[in-house]
Amino acid sequence: MLKPILLVEDNPRDLDLSLRALARTRLANEVVVTRNGEEAWHYLTRQGVYADRPRGNPAVVLLDLKLPKIDGVELLDLIRKEPELENLPVVMLTASREQTDVARSYALGVNAYVVKPIEFVDFLEAIRDLGVFWAVINEPPPGSVRLKA
Amino acid sequence: MNAERPPVPVAVLDACDQEPIHLAGSIQPGGFLLAVDEADGRVVQASENAGDCLGRALSAVLGATPGELFGAETEARVRELSRDARFARGATFVGRWARGGSGDERVFALLGHRHAGRLILEGERLCAGEAAAPVEAHEQIEVLLGQMETPRTVDELLAFAARELRGLTGFDRVLVYRFDADWHGRVVAEDRNDALPSYLDLHFPASDIPRQARELYRLNRLRLIADASYEPVPIRAAPGRAEAPLDLSLATLRSVSPVHREYMRNMGTGASFSISLMRDGELWGLVSCHNAAPRRVPFAVRAACALFTQALSLQLAVREQAEGLAQRMRLQAILTPVVAGLARHERLLEGIDAVREHLLRLVGADGAAVIEDDRVASYGCAPDERRVRELARWLDSRGEEELLATHQLAAEFPEAAGYAAEVSGLLALSISPRRRSRVIWFRREVVETVTWGGDPAKPLAADAAGPARLHPRKSFERWRELLRGRARPWSAAEIETAREFRVAVVDIVLRGAERLAQLSEELSRTNRELENFSYTVSHDLRAPFRHIRGYAELLKSDKGHLLDAEGLQFLEYVLEGSRHAGRLVDNILAFSRMGRAALVFTTVALDELVPEAIRFLKADPGTRRIEWVVGPLPKVEGDQSMLLRVVHNLLENAVKFTGPRELARIEVWAEETPTEHVVHVRDNGVGFDPRYKDKLFGMFQRLHDWEEFSGAGIGLASVRRVVARHGGRVWADGRPDGGATFSFSLPKTPSPSHPLYA
Repeated sequence: MLKPILLVEDNPRDLDLSLRALARTRLANEVVVTRNGEEAWHYLTRQGVYADRPRGNPAVVLLDLKLPKIDGVELLDLIRKEPELENLPVVMLTASREQTDVARSYALGVNAYVVKPIEFVDFLEAIRDLGVFWAVINEPPPGSVRLKA
Repeated sequence: MNAERPPVPVAVLDACDQEPIHLAGSIQPGGFLLAVDEADGRVVQASENAGDCLGRALSAVLGATPGELFGAETEARVRELSRDARFARGATFVGRWARGGSGDERVFALLGHRHAGRLILEGERLCAGEAAAPVEAHEQIEVLLGQMETPRTVDELLAFAARELRGLTGFDRVLVYRFDADWHGRVVAEDRNDALPSYLDLHFPASDIPRQARELYRLNRLRLIADASYEPVPIRAAPGRAEAPLDLSLATLRSVSPVHREYMRNMGTGASFSISLMRDGELWGLVSCHNAAPRRVPFAVRAACALFTQALSLQLAVREQAEGLAQRMRLQAILTPVVAGLARHERLLEGIDAVREHLLRLVGADGAAVIEDDRVASYGCAPDERRVRELARWLDSRGEEELLATHQLAAEFPEAAGYAAEVSGLLALSISPRRRSRVIWFRREVVETVTWGGDPAKPLAADAAGPARLHPRKSFERWRELLRGRARPWSAAEIETAREFRVAVVDIVLRGAERLAQLSEELSRTNRELENFSYTVSHDLRAPFRHIRGYAELLKSDKGHLLDAEGLQFLEYVLEGSRHAGRLVDNILAFSRMGRAALVFTTVALDELVPEAIRFLKADPGTRRIEWVVGPLPKVEGDQSMLLRVVHNLLENAVKFTGPRELARIEVWAEETPTEHVVHVRDNGVGFDPRYKDKLFGMFQRLHDWEEFSGAGIGLASVRRVVARHGGRVWADGRPDGGATFSFSLPKTPSPSHPLYA
């Protein structure tokens, strides 16, 4: 069974567009949606409403930078400090090309950094590429080392 | 005879300097001297002639009380006066005392003073006729003091004083002698008869009046040697008492150094009378009265001369102060506009340049140099730049000195001897040690001929028998020398004006620095605001455009069949509008990043950068047939990626506006000026109306209609911004349908430290 894709996005329109874009990629992976950093953290660490979900990490986390409660960079920091999640691929999705955000994300070990394009076709392409790359092609074998950006 | 001034032998000076002349141990024979122990009120030391003068045995004088010697009245008077402060300052008239018998020689003027724990009583034998005329001198002096206001200049005043003091004393010659900073003296006024030669304008070396002699002149303002050939009268102590040598500093009859008497004899003077001219507690000069034959000056006349000379000192001080004040006023009148002119400029060099016409007049200089941030500017008669830098290094090496004034530069800085004719006077101000900024004024050498009263190199001669005994000069023949390496000295008023100038400049510089700091703080605050703004734009404005765009696309692809032709047309407009809005937002962000990103200066090879930019443009499949003509290009200092953007934008611009041409021709070449590299990009495109060329580089400025050429109107604004941050300029030439040339310059030495570029 394919690992799910975890999408962390608070903006309902962006979420909707991302889901539609992912749907068009025809990936078979399930897409799990969480609306803020805390909920995503609960999912990843099987707490709260996700306490009963089966063990196992998602194939990739598509993480929005700006999130309520725990934001994207903070969540990334938590993920990289958690031994079980250390090698989880994380792709930062953001509306910003601000150098400080990019620098911080890379410093924390993000696997890819994508500025959401305004053009829908470009956005579609980006989501498809990411999904295919991380969910299918680049699934890391157990015990492999996370790719440093 | 002319000569450079040789050094005065130091050993000789020292030998003379060390003679303890205040402990002479003897007096001149014009009277007697007694030293009374203040504790027991008895005479402990007496001049050997005291017995004769007082009409009793010396052994009877020693151990006696003043009362026993002079009577109860005199004793009471001494006791009264000894409580007076005057007694401690110098010989004070106690009264007249006559021993029994007849004849003037038995009448004495009794003088008393207290010094070094001893009450010293001196009895001065009255001069012939003195008894009758003590008041006359005082009447005379009152008249003279009234007349002292009349002479207009200092020279006239001194001539008046010499004349009147000769009248008072009846001496053959009266000299007014002035000391310079090194204690060399010059005769500045003279009045004489034919008995003695003129010494007017002669210079005398400092060694002629050694240090301890000057100190005595300072303490005791009158000194009479009535007969240069006198035999000193030794001072004796009471038998069995071991007395320390008596300190005669304030004594009237103190015997002078044998060297001095020899000096007098060599000068041909039989009597000398000196009165000190004081200024602020220091010796300013001397009034020196000489007589060919021995001559005595009654105490009353001496007192009158002292009073007159004191008034003269005050008059001199007042006049010099008035002259200084007048000069200060004149210089102040120059300083005010200079400071106002300086205040209008940020940099010292520019400020000074703006007031250059006043700069030299400010301190009466022949030339000036200004140094700031290792740049040098010179005005008038100044050394060349290399020497100015050399001087600046020397000044640096002297440490933190706000002001240095010298009129003998080569004496302090021997390297300056080589150009002493142009520069011998230097007045240097340190403005800001951090920026090593200085203002230096220069004065030319003024060759001065000085006439010495005898060869100053031979002030004293050793005896043939050996150097143990010193002889003063034997010759007072005029001896001329040429003084080289000296400029007119800087006056107190000039130095004070320079100091005020410095305070004003430092103030201006500080205010400038403060303004700059304020500006830079404002700038970085604005930058932070801009950063926040762009962040908001990027995150908050991009999202809605993305949503409009996204749903419009979805509407078209998924629900397009529900719309009629007109509805689809509307949808196209929505898509087009949102695409354009999205690009605008992205461009604004790119532009603001360009302004904020730190520049990384490296050497950039434009002959590699331009082909790289052309490759980018060629990669666009839409690019038409274009002939690229690239000339030799230089290496420049700048930020590689920023400059790539500049070149890319200019070439893209050229490609865009040559769109209608079948064969586009785009040329790139460079020129060089002493300070800049200039790069040109010329195309054979549609050109522009030169009337609007100032609008070209503005943000969102378009000179062409919307449909004609696409573009967000931001490319050239970015070019200007990046080039400005490199310290360069951009400009353009063109005419409608005649092609356009866009140019930018880059300084060869960029100054990225400027806050506006930082």
